[in-house]
Amino acid sequence: MNKAAIIVDNVTFGYDEASPILKDVTLEIPFGQIVAIMGGSGSGKTTLLRLISGQYKAQKGKVYVLGHDVAKLSHAKILELRKSMGMLFQFGALFTDMSVEENVAFALKEHTNIPDSVIKKIVAMKLAAVGLFGTQSMMPQQLSGGMARRVALARSIALDPAIMLYDEPFTGLDPISLNVASMLIKKLNESLEQTSILVTHDIETTMKIVDHIYFMADGKLIDGGTPKEVYETKDPKLRQFMQGELIGPYNYEYSTKLNYTKYLGDVN
Amino acid sequence: MNNLFGLISKIGAPFTGFILSLGELARLLFNILFSLTYPLKNFFLLIKELYFSGVRSIVIIAFSGWFVGMVLGLQGYNTLERFGSLSMLGSMVAISLLRELGPVLTAILFASRAGSGMTAEIGLMKATEQLDAMSVMAVDPIKRVVSPKFLGGIISVPLLTGLFNVAGIFGGYFVGVILLRLDSGTFWSQMRSSVSLHDDVINGIIKSFIFGVAVTLIAVYQGFVAKPTAEGVSLATTRTVVSSALIVLALDFILTALMF
Repeated sequence: MNKAAIIVDNVTFGYDEASPILKDVTLEIPFGQIVAIMGGSGSGKTTLLRLISGQYKAQKGKVYVLGHDVAKLSHAKILELRKSMGMLFQFGALFTDMSVEENVAFALKEHTNIPDSVIKKIVAMKLAAVGLFGTQSMMPQQLSGGMARRVALARSIALDPAIMLYDEPFTGLDPISLNVASMLIKKLNESLEQTSILVTHDIETTMKIVDHIYFMADGKLIDGGTPKEVYETKDPKLRQFMQGELIGPYNYEYSTKLNYTKYLGDVN
Repeated sequence: MNNLFGLISKIGAPFTGFILSLGELARLLFNILFSLTYPLKNFFLLIKELYFSGVRSIVIIAFSGWFVGMVLGLQGYNTLERFGSLSMLGSMVAISLLRELGPVLTAILFASRAGSGMTAEIGLMKATEQLDAMSVMAVDPIKRVVSPKFLGGIISVPLLTGLFNVAGIFGGYFVGVILLRLDSGTFWSQMRSSVSLHDDVINGIIKSFIFGVAVTLIAVYQGFVAKPTAEGVSLATTRTVVSSALIVLALDFILTALMF
């Protein structure tokens, strides 16, 4: 058994080989930790999460999850491994034709033979854990964005997964929902003895709950450390990201070689 | 030289794209066929799909059948009157419906009413990451979402074709017998004597079954390959209706040549 819950070993991945999204990424996530993967938009964070969940296969390098080489697993084995994983999608991805109760009960009904009466009780407990007991009969369309995210969280922990993957869990939440979400992630990680990976942009909230941060830029892992180490970093890219500065190694312009006179005409 | 290669690849791209789509379609069909035990075990999913694609298409199918039958009755009356063969009106209406119009029009109407709905539903589930969420929860979307829709479709289309035919025959009866005063006994007896169970009824059912497979497969495939955007889903539903109509008409020609 590996010491780390997840090992990403020298992974390269891209939709076409000429322009890889991830380039030689290597990282380890120990059991029981909450680890954040941060970086600008398009830096390859979500792609990395999808490689870990086995939705994509690396073109080079290996991804080990709970000791299994994900690329070598058959489709059936990947499905089996995913029973030990929960994933919270950016906008919840609740099944819109099912009620809150049916959403949370979904994995339990698909993968276990637990009687319906017991499933109802488990669903009530999971909803209570995210503070939404009493919403069982509501439809996803009736929920606010923050509530939908929490229902999705209750759904993703229905099978008590060993690993939780969070894709931008704090995006678009009001300050109260933001605190609730971060508190829940921390609480669930401890009480269910999980290993959690957060892909996020939210520096302030993330710093409060994570054990380790990896920072990605242009498909590469450029730095990492504890929240304290990251605060004190001297890496110019990471400093610019942390402080949200406009001027630095990152350029927010898509093209740095724009010839404005071509579009605006010669003012003289 | 580069221009020449560019030209060749531009001409070849639609063909290779078409062959690639056929391959994907065949793979999807095999995956669905291997998953068909799932909706049979989870019967409520099949019932739900039968309701959405079958029951909710009943009104449009019955009305369309009725009007097509009335047109056949009217046109048949005008044509047969010239040859003094008005007694054959019942046979003409029934055979036209059972062999051709029933299966073909039902399949095209089904593609417009239920097929486009299937495409939009699967496409939107993809766009809102619901299919990904299902997959991450170790549930195969083809098994859970696609196979019940497919089975619901291939059961619904032959049944709806039967309904279309019955409504059409009564439409023809309404025009021929009630409005144009043909003899009711002649209408039914000529129909009974000239319609063959094997040649007309069973072949019509086989056609409708094959059309059901084609239309439902196209609908779920287009949903699956739709770009996860509003424009992508809209394009996919249009493609479902257009491709289904073309495939049904082409298949109809092949099946008619083989059967009759």
